[in-house]
Amino acid sequence: MDSRLTLAAREFASLRREKTIVLAIAIQLFVAAFSSLLVVGLVSLYAPGAAGGGLVVTVGVAGDAGGDIAPTVGASDARHVREYGSAADARAAFRDGEVDAVLVADRLSNGRTSVTALVPDGSFTTTVVVTQLKDALTAYERERRADLSYRLDRQPLDVPPERHGNPYFGFAYTVLVPALCFLPAFISGSIAADSVAEERERGTFDLLRSAPLSIPDIVDGKALTFVAIAPVQVAAWFALLSLNGTPIAHPVAALGFVVATTAVLVVGGVAVALAVPKHREAQLVYSFGAIGVFGAATLLPESPQNAVAKLAIGSATPTTWLTLAGALAVGVLGYVAVREAAARAWDS
Amino acid sequence: MTPRRTLRVARWEATRGVSGVDRRTAVLLAVALLVLAALAPLLVAFAPTPGAGVYRVAVADGDPYRAPVDATPQLRAVDPGANAVASGRADVAIGAGGVRIADTEKGRAALATFRDAVTAYNDRLMASEGDQAAAFPVVVNLTYVERSAVRVGGTAGSGDGSSGASGTTTGATSAGTTSAGTTSATTTSGTTTSATTTSATSETATSATSETAAPDGERPGSGGDGPATPSDITPPFPLRSLLYAFVFLLPLNVVIQAYGSSVIDERIDRRGEPLLVSPASRGDIVVGKALPYFLGAVAVTAVVAAAVGAGVRSVVALLPLAGLFLGVTFLGALFARSYKELTFVTVTVSVGLMAYAFVPAVFTEVHPIAAISPLSVVVRDIRGDPFSLGAFLLATAPVALAAAVCYGLGLGVYREEDLFTQKRLPAKALDALAAPLSSAWRVGLWTAAFVPFVLIAELFAVAALFVVPEAFAIPVVLALVALVEEAAKSLHVYAGFANARFPDTDRVALAVGVAAGVGFFVGEKLLLLTRLVDLPNVAVGGAAFGGVELGVGSLALLVAPLALHVAAATTSALGARRGRRWYALAFCCAVGLHLAYDYAVVSVLG
Repeated sequence: MDSRLTLAAREFASLRREKTIVLAIAIQLFVAAFSSLLVVGLVSLYAPGAAGGGLVVTVGVAGDAGGDIAPTVGASDARHVREYGSAADARAAFRDGEVDAVLVADRLSNGRTSVTALVPDGSFTTTVVVTQLKDALTAYERERRADLSYRLDRQPLDVPPERHGNPYFGFAYTVLVPALCFLPAFISGSIAADSVAEERERGTFDLLRSAPLSIPDIVDGKALTFVAIAPVQVAAWFALLSLNGTPIAHPVAALGFVVATTAVLVVGGVAVALAVPKHREAQLVYSFGAIGVFGAATLLPESPQNAVAKLAIGSATPTTWLTLAGALAVGVLGYVAVREAAARAWDS
Repeated sequence: MTPRRTLRVARWEATRGVSGVDRRTAVLLAVALLVLAALAPLLVAFAPTPGAGVYRVAVADGDPYRAPVDATPQLRAVDPGANAVASGRADVAIGAGGVRIADTEKGRAALATFRDAVTAYNDRLMASEGDQAAAFPVVVNLTYVERSAVRVGGTAGSGDGSSGASGTTTGATSAGTTSAGTTSATTTSGTTTSATTTSATSETATSATSETAAPDGERPGSGGDGPATPSDITPPFPLRSLLYAFVFLLPLNVVIQAYGSSVIDERIDRRGEPLLVSPASRGDIVVGKALPYFLGAVAVTAVVAAAVGAGVRSVVALLPLAGLFLGVTFLGALFARSYKELTFVTVTVSVGLMAYAFVPAVFTEVHPIAAISPLSVVVRDIRGDPFSLGAFLLATAPVALAAAVCYGLGLGVYREEDLFTQKRLPAKALDALAAPLSSAWRVGLWTAAFVPFVLIAELFAVAALFVVPEAFAIPVVLALVALVEEAAKSLHVYAGFANARFPDTDRVALAVGVAAGVGFFVGEKLLLLTRLVDLPNVAVGGAAFGGVELGVGSLALLVAPLALHVAAATTSALGARRGRRWYALAFCCAVGLHLAYDYAVVSVLG
């Protein structure tokens, strides 16, 4: 065991000596902070109600059904309504910047209401304004459907009242968190392959073999450091996300998933580097192989990305826990299998 | 450099890549590729929703709300039971007493998704009604109108001239150089009236009320054109560009991985030495080794472009980005001490460049800042917007120049004493910076060459900070600009003195400083590119780049920035001569000087 720890310590020292790993982690953190900022920024733009609702959209309303639509438009705190006598007045107000958007509503003979909407283009408020108009017009559509319900064969379901939910809340959990979990795992496998390939290309691998270390010992020693650094990075991401208002519901379970994935990828990387003599080809085989494994895992009843997302958001199902158990089992079994296979292939 | 030798090196690099592979490797690669090829159609067919089942809704089997829950992937039905929400089993519960939700962010988000699900379900239900006028009682014509603030001094016409001050037909064709294009399927086809530019705001494309707003008996909006129902309105949110970033840039990662390996391979056990002593020049070797990978990147980009429906324009726009990927990887492979270090460099490169390409492109339909990303050209190309040379140049020129500079720096250290030594990364970087400096004149030239990096860094700073309140963002941008520009003017000067490229006298330091200042000033005229897309109109962008255009008209305003650059560069050059501590101190002084000048310009003239 001692010699394996020595090897692991050597790998760690080499990672630390090449200070680029510090640089790489710092840059990862920068990107994480940046994307969190972006997500927060996007959310406050695209779902203004969710982020405290600082912006109020002023809507000018005109047309013969303008009086009918105005109360619905003004029903939300995020909207302010102003009625105009004619469409031309409303447009003038829009041009002068008095209102952010104009709705000209006319009732047609068949009971339909035709709405012409003007919204500003090419600015940040565009998205906020359009989101608010959509909200108001959808509410108005529900009211009109209720008014005309005698003409319908089936009745639409009631929509529950709004509570200012943020529709992009799930984005951080379903896209960002899985990406942040699996990227360090992928990198760990990649540098494990690098480490072995380099020993072989520089000819130091034979020196290592002459030390009192068996092949499984070498695999253990090499893998230990690289498996350990991925969950540390992911834990840092989780801490950062929690600070940024995205708490992780089951951090330990999610980290377990990361450890299992990293174990599979790291021993895979070591195995590829032992099987393929040249670094460039070893890296290609590793990359394609890792992508293939991820792709295949996506076809599981619950893909790894989805399982991590559910663990993070706190909606884990029995399938999620089964997937986690399966990942841990595959991690352990894959590790043992590669270790034995490497020993047999090398000694024969 | 001779083309014949370059091509020979390229051919050698390409064939070595193929013939140098042993059988077992070939089989492994083939198996991996076959598995990927077999997986691709399966993944397309059963593409899982990333957010499947993240929100739990407690609803009984026979409940009318069960159908919308089952039809929405993000929602998962769980057993109703008592206290489903209170016990944490569900985020939303539908029961006799109405809808209950958990009082958390997640509960509210789940309710928002549930409301959308019910609305979509109602629309599907209504689509089969006989009386469509009652089923869809509201139709909407949404028109995007550009309302830009008029600048002082009656320049309204010229500022927005290209975006069509009058008479464009629909929003989709009023794009021009800014981001005015509209994408919603709900633009009208009504006639237009000409714009007014006399008042305090100008309006560029107004759609008249459409008389044909509501065709009877049809569900509106189904044709993709003309009026639509409220649920068809899609606020601009081009998350598509995320997809493009991945499909275009991920294959580049494989290319740079192979390329970086090949370059660092030459450095292990002095393997590159035979090539170095051959008649081929350094340029032949470097270009020849890069050529197969660049062509590979072009081929991959072309295939991806054909697959997503983009044209030649997109491929051309992405070529500089591929070049920059290769250029930075080349430098990284020259500096790295081991494969592991190279992997970190490669990951850093791809993360950084992907952020640069992707983040601004998110705002393609919203904001002019998006124009700095080559991906915005792709998004606009796919959307069928008219070609705009200004936006195209802004998206591609800085990236292309930066790629060229990377190769220029790498060429300088592609020599025996640097290739086969193990130095720390910063020391190698200093070597690379110092290598091309043989005279003061060269210092000026290279300072000008660094301007694209300055431009990229500053654009990225602007893109990163424009969501922050202006009062906070503008000082930060000014500080970053000063820091980046002073670094570009002095780092190589310091490297030159540290590597004893110049005689160690104050007179030389003065000459070099003046050369750096003048070189930067000339190179900075490149920043005029930003005018082409109206970037100074963005408040933060104005703080960063507004000063550039001041040179037009007044001699004093032309001379002032030149004096500033020369003074600051000379300060740091004098410090650089005296060693690291002095350089750090002088650099801080130069940044302070620059910051004070910029602050004065922004507050007095801005």
